[in-house]
Amino acid sequence: MNPTVSEVEKEAQAQLKDIGSREDLEAFRIAYLGKKGKLGELMARLKTLSAEERRDWGREVNRLKGYLEESLRTLCESLPDASTSEGNFDETLPGIRPAVGKLHPISQTIREICRIFGRMGFAVVEGPEVETEFYNFTALNISLDHASRDSFDTFYTDSGSLLRSQTSTVQIRVMEKNDPPLRIIAPGRVYRPDTVDASHSFMFHQIEGLMVDDKTNFSELKGVLYWFLRELFGSSTKIRFRPHFFPFTEPSVEVDIQWGDKGWLEILGAGFVNPKVFEAVGYDTKKVRGFAFGLGVERIAMLRLGIPDIRYFYENDLRFLRQF
Amino acid sequence: MKISVRWLSDYVTMKPPIEAVANSLTMAGLEVEKLVPICGGKDHLFEIEITTNRPDWLSHIGVAREIAAIENLTLRLPEIDEQTSRKMPPGWKVELKDKDGCPYYTGVVLEGVEQNPTPDFMRDRLEACGVRCINLIVDITNYVLLETGQPLHAFDADLLGGREVVIRRARKGEKFTAINGHVYDCRNEDLVIADHDRATALAGVMGGADSEVSDKTRNIFLESAFLHPGRVRSTSKHHAITSESSYRFERCVDPEGVDFARSRALYFLKKYAKPRFVSSVIKVGQKPAGKNGLIHLTAGEVEKTLGVAIKPSQIAAFMRRLGLDVKDKGVGSFSVRIPSFRSDLVMPVHLIEEIARLYGYENIPSALPSLVPHELLDDPLLKVEETARHYFTAAGLYETVTFSLISEQSFPPDYNIEESIRIVNPQNKELNRLRPMLLPSLMEVLKKNANQGAVSMPFFEIANTYRKETASGKKTHEEKALGIIIAGLRYEKGWADTDSREFAFYDLKGMVAAFLETLGIADVSFSKGEYTALEGLSSESIKAGDNTVGLVGEVQPQYARKWDLESRVYYAEISLAETQSHVAWVRRFQDLSRFPSIQRDLAVVVAESVKAGAVLEEIKSHEKELIKNVEVFDLFRGGRIPKGCKSLAFRVTYQSGDKTLVSEEIQKLHTDIAKAVSGKFQATFQ
Repeated sequence: MNPTVSEVEKEAQAQLKDIGSREDLEAFRIAYLGKKGKLGELMARLKTLSAEERRDWGREVNRLKGYLEESLRTLCESLPDASTSEGNFDETLPGIRPAVGKLHPISQTIREICRIFGRMGFAVVEGPEVETEFYNFTALNISLDHASRDSFDTFYTDSGSLLRSQTSTVQIRVMEKNDPPLRIIAPGRVYRPDTVDASHSFMFHQIEGLMVDDKTNFSELKGVLYWFLRELFGSSTKIRFRPHFFPFTEPSVEVDIQWGDKGWLEILGAGFVNPKVFEAVGYDTKKVRGFAFGLGVERIAMLRLGIPDIRYFYENDLRFLRQF
Repeated sequence: MKISVRWLSDYVTMKPPIEAVANSLTMAGLEVEKLVPICGGKDHLFEIEITTNRPDWLSHIGVAREIAAIENLTLRLPEIDEQTSRKMPPGWKVELKDKDGCPYYTGVVLEGVEQNPTPDFMRDRLEACGVRCINLIVDITNYVLLETGQPLHAFDADLLGGREVVIRRARKGEKFTAINGHVYDCRNEDLVIADHDRATALAGVMGGADSEVSDKTRNIFLESAFLHPGRVRSTSKHHAITSESSYRFERCVDPEGVDFARSRALYFLKKYAKPRFVSSVIKVGQKPAGKNGLIHLTAGEVEKTLGVAIKPSQIAAFMRRLGLDVKDKGVGSFSVRIPSFRSDLVMPVHLIEEIARLYGYENIPSALPSLVPHELLDDPLLKVEETARHYFTAAGLYETVTFSLISEQSFPPDYNIEESIRIVNPQNKELNRLRPMLLPSLMEVLKKNANQGAVSMPFFEIANTYRKETASGKKTHEEKALGIIIAGLRYEKGWADTDSREFAFYDLKGMVAAFLETLGIADVSFSKGEYTALEGLSSESIKAGDNTVGLVGEVQPQYARKWDLESRVYYAEISLAETQSHVAWVRRFQDLSRFPSIQRDLAVVVAESVKAGAVLEEIKSHEKELIKNVEVFDLFRGGRIPKGCKSLAFRVTYQSGDKTLVSEEIQKLHTDIAKAVSGKFQATFQ
């Protein structure tokens, strides 16, 4: 029993009235317009017809096809989409996040600190990590046979050099090559043969700062460091300057900030550049004056981010890296 | 250092509360780290961090002197007893043979001492300061050490062979048995106190077991000396012995304290040990004069350095409170004589620090400097680094920070370890090589994260790599490298994804290529490379112009298994310094054509040996004006493709800058290209 085009059309019209959902619509589309649909069957009958009949038959089938497609389009627009209709929309499903990576918290901290000093005209410079005793000790007025050397315990290499134990080495290298005025900041890795525990590591990061001109003074050292610490830790941060000793600065200072219930915490060391250091780089000690400061990046990052153990930084656990 | 507050009050009357005293000490540079009540609250202990420049603070009198200076109080020195007999008992000889090691040596012989119990106050104070009580004689020397900062040593006089005290260099290999029971092999640099036969003390470091004062001791030889700080330090460091005594000598004791402390000890010895006879004091050598007895200072210098004007009269008052002998030469100019206990004061700037301390760092105003232009610019490499950080985090990678030191076991096979730099005194014996590449450290990161259950592991690190210029040479090479490692899934499958896929070599190659493009490097090329840790099949070296700037490849599965890694691992390392010279930060604008583009595909079947790049270059070589872009969009093997062949599909974009292209024109060009490809590569079409 082969239905005519008009029979198929009538049947389709009847069914179209009952379509109430997009699922019905899709089922209808497959039944009529799909690969093995009813229109396909009508078309297939072409080859059983005479040449004259074919033309009319073909035109009729195409007309019906056009009609059905148009009807479906119209219907589709009026039918609610299950995934977007109000009742079915699931606002609790999470959005799909792009797969972006993260910078290590050490890098983030260095970047932030360099940004702050950059605003005060400090240029960011770097120096080698494999160093000589001259840059690590002698030029910094650290005498090799004095107790002051003890806090700068050092790794030595089989080629007779050492791993710098502080970024102050960069001060010397920059001053050797450049005349004042200077404002530099030097981030980098430093190494000390410390036993590893929650707050010590044999490798960590420091940032050294140096400002040299012909007229700076202790008051400006205070100004720069206050400004920096308030930028970094907030404008209400309480800061105190305490006399201390470093071989390369005189007067020397340790800077503490008040940290919640932990009280005063040492946050950086600083001081006025010792004339012996200027002598070592060939500056005229009568004409130049300057101050320097050094801070531990891990220590600052641990405080700001609330990280209790320094070892987290070097484990690079994704669960850690994703947090910052 | 532990300081008893009650003990301090022998010398200075402090205004309570004690917390305020502790705070003012801290703010003057003697950091009181802890304030601990002891003896049921009758006393307090200051735990003080004493900086290496202030050996004078290593005693109760020293700290009391500082409190007196800060609070403007009077210092009371304790009683001493200088009365001794005029003569030495017969037969005693003291000989100073090393004046460099020991500039000044004094000694006194006491006969018939009684080993009475140590008085309670002395015992309490010693114990509060963490010193164990031994016997009266030793306790007195220890007490005076903590009181004055001058180390003393008492020998059992009957155990000194030949009644001789010789201060000399040790003989090389000379054996010495110390009080701690250890036997030390002395070096010629070591200074010893010897008797006729043997070393009886490692001078300033530790006494000898052979001449130790015991309960049976009746006659003693009491020593008080000034020793060379460097020599004591060298001996203490070399033999790894630190004592209360060496700690002070190596920081330099007060030359005047030598006689004072001896007299103070005699006061106690006479009072409590009741000796039958006290000899005259033998003195050999000379007290060293201060390094710089006189410093000139002007109020102008003080103001220039501190940025605050302090009245000359106040400057003078501060210095006098510190015990300095100040001569006011008028118009704010001073000549300052430095007392023997302040060997740290050498330059005017040292005095300025003293003035600042007493003035109070807190009272110096803070001011921002004006911005002076200077020529120094940021290190240009940092911009490359920052670009890498931006690019790779945006590409979904996590930055790591790993140790620069790695173990020898972690090197890839065939790597010549001797070219890497060895640490001779590693803290962790395993980690004794400075890494010549970042790969081993990043493999470790993968291992840790895989163990944690991570399924997608893309990481990068920017850090220095180090190697010797030659395996035997002393010259070292250090440069900044970028290491990239990927393993596991490309991304973690989300709820809306049907699937993810594993990272492939070409993901990494693409990342690297796009990064170098971000740096504006125009002439990047990849060519087959050799690198031992990377699989030969898919390892390539990366070039910018003729310069090799890095490598990219798959890590050998065998090497990856060392880290228990099952998934395939891809690694690239780029030398940022090499890359830097090719960077073009400013890219020139290229006009956007207003005319439509037409895309045509070209799918060819070629032998496996035909490289996609060669076909691509061939296509590009036609009508450069019209071909805007050619890309590979499919690679297929199997199915209807004959064995030994592959299907490569290219998408060619045609566009003209000055007209709308017509289909026929393009069809002709496309057909020509197809013919050319077919001819050159024996390609057939699908």
